[in-house]
Amino acid sequence: MTNIAIVGTGQTAHARRRLDVSQAGLAREAVMEALADAGLTMADIDSVVVASGPAMFGAVNQPEKWLVDALGARFKPVVRVTSGGGTGLAGALAAMNQIKGGVAKRVLVVAYDKLSEGALQASISTLYDPFWGREFAVGIMGFSAAYWRARMDRLGHTEEAAAMVAVKNRANSMLNPKAHVKKEVTVEEVLASKPLCWPIKVLDVPPISDGACAVILAAEGDAEAITSTPAWIRGMAYYSEADNAAHRSMLQSEPLKIAAAKVYRASGVTNPRRQFDVAEVQEPYTCFELSYYEGLGLCPEGGAAELIASGATQMTGDIPVNPSGGCMGANPIGATALIRLAEAAMQVTGKAGAHQIQGAELGLVQAGGGWANLRGVAVVGSTKD
Amino acid sequence: MTNNATSTRETMGSMTSRLSMPYTLTAGKAMGTFLAELGAQRIIGSRCAACATVRVPAQDFCGDCGAETGELVAVPSTGELTGWTVTERGILAFVLLDGTDVPLLHRIVDTDVSSLVLGARVSARWAAEPAGNVMDITGFAIDAESTVGALAPTNELLAPIEQLAYRMELTYEHSYGHFYGSLFDSVKNDRRIRGIRCPSCRNVLLPPRGFCDVCFVPTKDWIDIPDTGTVQACSVVHIEFVGQRMTPPYVYAEIVLDGTATRLIHSVGGLSAEEARSGIVKPGSRVKAVWSDRATGSLADIEYFQVIDGSA
Amino acid sequence: MVAATSRNVAVVGSAQTQLKAAWSDRQHVDLISEAVARALLGTGLRIEDVDFVIDSGSDFLDGRSISNCGFLGAMGAHHKEESRVEEDGLWSALYGATKIASGSASVGLIVAYSKSSESDPNDYWTSLAEPFTQRPVGLDQNAVAGLFAQRYLTRFGVPASALRAVTHRAWAAADGNTFVDATLEMLQDEYWSQEIASPLRRSDMARPVDGAVAVLLASKDVARQIGGSPVWVTGMGSAIDQHFIAARDGATLPAAAAAASAAYRMAGASGASDFDIVEVSAGSTAGELMVLEALGMAEPGKAIDLYADGASPGLNPSGGALPADVVMASGLVRLHEVAAQLGGRSDHAPQGARRGLAHASGGLGMQNHCVITLETS
Repeated sequence: MTNIAIVGTGQTAHARRRLDVSQAGLAREAVMEALADAGLTMADIDSVVVASGPAMFGAVNQPEKWLVDALGARFKPVVRVTSGGGTGLAGALAAMNQIKGGVAKRVLVVAYDKLSEGALQASISTLYDPFWGREFAVGIMGFSAAYWRARMDRLGHTEEAAAMVAVKNRANSMLNPKAHVKKEVTVEEVLASKPLCWPIKVLDVPPISDGACAVILAAEGDAEAITSTPAWIRGMAYYSEADNAAHRSMLQSEPLKIAAAKVYRASGVTNPRRQFDVAEVQEPYTCFELSYYEGLGLCPEGGAAELIASGATQMTGDIPVNPSGGCMGANPIGATALIRLAEAAMQVTGKAGAHQIQGAELGLVQAGGGWANLRGVAVVGSTKD
Repeated sequence: MTNNATSTRETMGSMTSRLSMPYTLTAGKAMGTFLAELGAQRIIGSRCAACATVRVPAQDFCGDCGAETGELVAVPSTGELTGWTVTERGILAFVLLDGTDVPLLHRIVDTDVSSLVLGARVSARWAAEPAGNVMDITGFAIDAESTVGALAPTNELLAPIEQLAYRMELTYEHSYGHFYGSLFDSVKNDRRIRGIRCPSCRNVLLPPRGFCDVCFVPTKDWIDIPDTGTVQACSVVHIEFVGQRMTPPYVYAEIVLDGTATRLIHSVGGLSAEEARSGIVKPGSRVKAVWSDRATGSLADIEYFQVIDGSA
Repeated sequence: MVAATSRNVAVVGSAQTQLKAAWSDRQHVDLISEAVARALLGTGLRIEDVDFVIDSGSDFLDGRSISNCGFLGAMGAHHKEESRVEEDGLWSALYGATKIASGSASVGLIVAYSKSSESDPNDYWTSLAEPFTQRPVGLDQNAVAGLFAQRYLTRFGVPASALRAVTHRAWAAADGNTFVDATLEMLQDEYWSQEIASPLRRSDMARPVDGAVAVLLASKDVARQIGGSPVWVTGMGSAIDQHFIAARDGATLPAAAAAASAAYRMAGASGASDFDIVEVSAGSTAGELMVLEALGMAEPGKAIDLYADGASPGLNPSGGALPADVVMASGLVRLHEVAAQLGGRSDHAPQGARRGLAHASGGLGMQNHCVITLETS
C-alpha cells in the first residue's frame, strides 16, 4: 500500500478575533504558509479538501464555495468534509484516500474556523435533536461536564487532576508562537475559577479562537522529492458511534478505542506509552485529556489522574502530551484537529521550535467531535515504518 | 431559539423550530474598503497583481487566478447592463462598470422592465442615508446620457469596515413522524411514555425509532415506560449565552428511565445549585418526572425530574 | 499515474426512497434507514459487512449542527468509520470509491438525503453566497438561474420557448418513474408556468423534493463473490468554479467540462459518446443544456437538439433532477439510477446499455461539478 507523508504545514496567527481577514482570507493565510513550507505553489496541488466546523458557526453554508477564490483553486477538485471538532483529521483522512485511491498526487487540506463571528454555544446547541433535549443544551458543555462528573466517581478523574492538565497545557502554550493564550495558571487558580457548567470551570475551558491550519499530503516517491523531512502517516482512522444507542458508554469512548486499535495495528504500536515520543490530543475541556489517556492506552483505565500527577505527560516526561499547548493555547474548533496533526508532524521532523521534544520520532494524534461520538486517531513518524 | 409544539392529537404533524443567531462578519481589507467607500458614494475595485483583471467589488484575491490583489482602483459609477432577471424580489442585474473586467451583481431600480436591453448605459443610485453595506447603492438605473468613465487611482481611502452585524433566521417544521408522533401523542394526551423494543438485542429504546442503531434491524414492540429512572450523568449549568432557552442555574441531566437502555435529556429540579453540587443529585440518583400543566407534546410536558429515595 | 479506482470498485447495490414533495409523516432517519436497508437487499451483504459510511446532508437543511451525528444509527454507521461530505452525495461516492481503491476497505455505504420541505429552500440556497455583497441584493437560486439562462439563450440565439421541451421531456420521464411523484398532469397547473426569474418559469427550475438514497460500493473481490452483474466505477472527476456569480461565464460550465474530462481520462473514454446512459443533475432547464454541452454531448448552444422527439434515449431516463431535486442527494440518485439501469435493476433502462455517466452539481448557479462513469462487464 502506498505510504503517504505530510510535506508541508502552515498555521495562521491564531487570535481571539482576527479583524484583518475574512474567513476566506484566514484560510488562505494558513495555505500560503503550508505551500511555502513545502516549496510548492497551488499549481502543484491536484485537489483540495476543506474542513471546517458546523457551517452555522460562520453563517456561510458550504463555505468552501466562497473560499475557492482565496485558495486559488478554480477548476480543481474542492470538497468539504465536516465532522464537528475532529473535522480536520477527517479531512486529512479523505485526502489520504484520494492519493491512495489514485485520483490525486498532492492534496491540500485546509481547516479553519472563525469563531469570533458567531454565537458559539447557541450554534453548537443545535447539535441536539430538536425533539430530544435541545432546550437543555449548553453546546457540548452540559454532557461533557456531566460525564466528567461520572468519571470522577468511577475512574477518579478529579477536579485537581483536570486542573493539572490546564496548568500543563497553558504552560506549554507559552513556548508556542502560534498560541494566543499566553498565561500560566496554578492548580489552585483553576479550582477556584468560576464554574461554567460544574464541574467544568472557566480555566478548564480553552479559548474561542479564529484560526486556520493547512497540511499538504503527497505519496511516497513524490514526498521525498518535495522535502527532505517528510512526516510519514503510519495510520489514521476516524470512527463513529450512534449518539443514543442502547447502553452507550460515555465513561470510555468506544469509537476512540476502536480507532486506536486499528491505527496501532497498522503502525505496529503495541505499547503506546513506551513507543510514542509525543502525543497531540484535542481537548475541548481539560477532563477530556484525562479520558483520552485511558482511551489511547497511555495508562490503564482509572489511571489518568495518576499519569498527569506523575509528570509523565509534561514536556519533560516520558510521554509528553500537547507540547503545543493543545486547545488551551488556541481553539479554532474546525482547525484544531488538523493543528494536532500538523504539530505532531512538526515534532517528528524536528520543526517544532521552542516546544520541540528532542529526538521525537513517533507521534500520536487524537481528535474528535460531535456528541463525543466521532473519534479519530493518527500516528505519524519520521520514517515510513 | 424556540420550539413550539402546537399540534393537536389529530395532526401531530410537525414542530416549529426557529433558529435566530447573531453574527459579526469580517469582510477583509478589500471588501471592507469597498463597503466603507460606498458611504462616500465611491466605488472601489481591485486589480489583480498577476492577471491584471479589474473586478468590483474589490477583492483581496483574484477568483480567476488566485493571486493577491495588486492595487485598489476607483471605479466610475456608470457602466453597461450585461444581464438581468426579473424575480419576485426585484430585478437583479450584471452591471459592467466602465473600465472593469468583471460585472457587479446588483439591483435595477427606477427603471421600467420594458426599457431594459443588453448593453444599455446605467448609473448607480445612492441611498440617502449610507448604512455601511452594499445597499448604500440602492441599485442601478438606465441612464442613456451617462458618459463612459475611466478608472482612477485611489487616494486617501477610508478605513475598511471591519465587521458587519448579521443575523440568520431559519425556521423549520420538523416532522414528528410515526415514532416521535406516537410517543409525544401519548405524552401529551395520556401522560404516558412509550419506548420501542429491538427484536434482536431486546433493548428498549427511548425515544422510539424505526431501526435499532446497534443491530440495524426494524424495531417492533411498543413498551410502556414508567416516569422514574436513574441519573446516568448530570452537571450544573451556570453559564449564560445568547439564545439560551433555560435560565441558569439548572441541573442538566441524562436519565435512563426504568426499563430502557438509552438516554433522556432533561433537568433535575427542586434543588439549588449548591445542593446539586453537594451530591444530592449525582450519577445513580433515582428520579421521577414532575409533570407540567402544559400539554405541548414535547419534553416540556415534564417540568423537571425530582430526586426520589433509593439509588441504582 | 494509474488510477487505482478504475474498474477496481463496483456498485453492488443501491436504492432510493420515493422522491416526493413532502414526506411530512416521516423523519430523516426513517427515509435514510429505508434506503440503506433496501440497498443491502439482494446483495447477500449485511450491515456488519459494511466497513465504512460516507454521507451527504446539510446542517442548514436539517436545522441541526453536525447533523450526521444524529443519523448515524439510521445510516448503519454505529462503530464504523464515518465521514460527512457536505456536498451532493456523488462526492461522497467519489470519496468512498477512493477508500476502497486504496485497499483500506472492502465495502462502503454511501448515503445522501434531504427533507427540504421542512424549511424554506431559498434560505439554503441564499446561505451559500458570501454575505457581504451577493446576499443583500437578493440573490437566490432562481435569480442565478435566470441571469445565466439569459446569457445562454442570447449568446446562442436559442428562444426561451425552446426550454419547454426540456421540461416536458424530464417530467414525462419522471411520470414513468415510480420512484418520483411528479406527473405531466401536475405540470398543467398554472403554478408551474409562472415566470419566476425571467426568462425562466417555475417549471424551468429544479423542483425540490424529499428523499434518501443509498449506494453500496465494494472491492473487486467482494463484487465477484456477490456475482450477478457488477457495475464497475471506471472514471471519476470533480472541479469547482470561482465563487462570485458575476465573475463566471454563465453561458458555459467550464468546471463541469473539467470534471468530465478528468473522468473520461481515467475511464479511457474518448468522450460523451462512449456512454449509453447519461444522468445529470441540473438546477434549471437552461442549466441542463449547459451541463450536456460541458460533458461534450453537444456543441455549445446545440444541446436543445438532443430533446427532439426520439433523440437520445439514454439521456436522463429517470427524468433527472428537474422534476425531483433532492438537494444534497440528486447526484447520488443519478449514480443509483445509472447503476440500476446498467445492472438490470430498473424498469426504465435503455436497451443494451453498457456504459453510463452520473453527474452532480453543487452550489449556487452550479458552481461545483462531479462526474462518475460506470460500466458493466
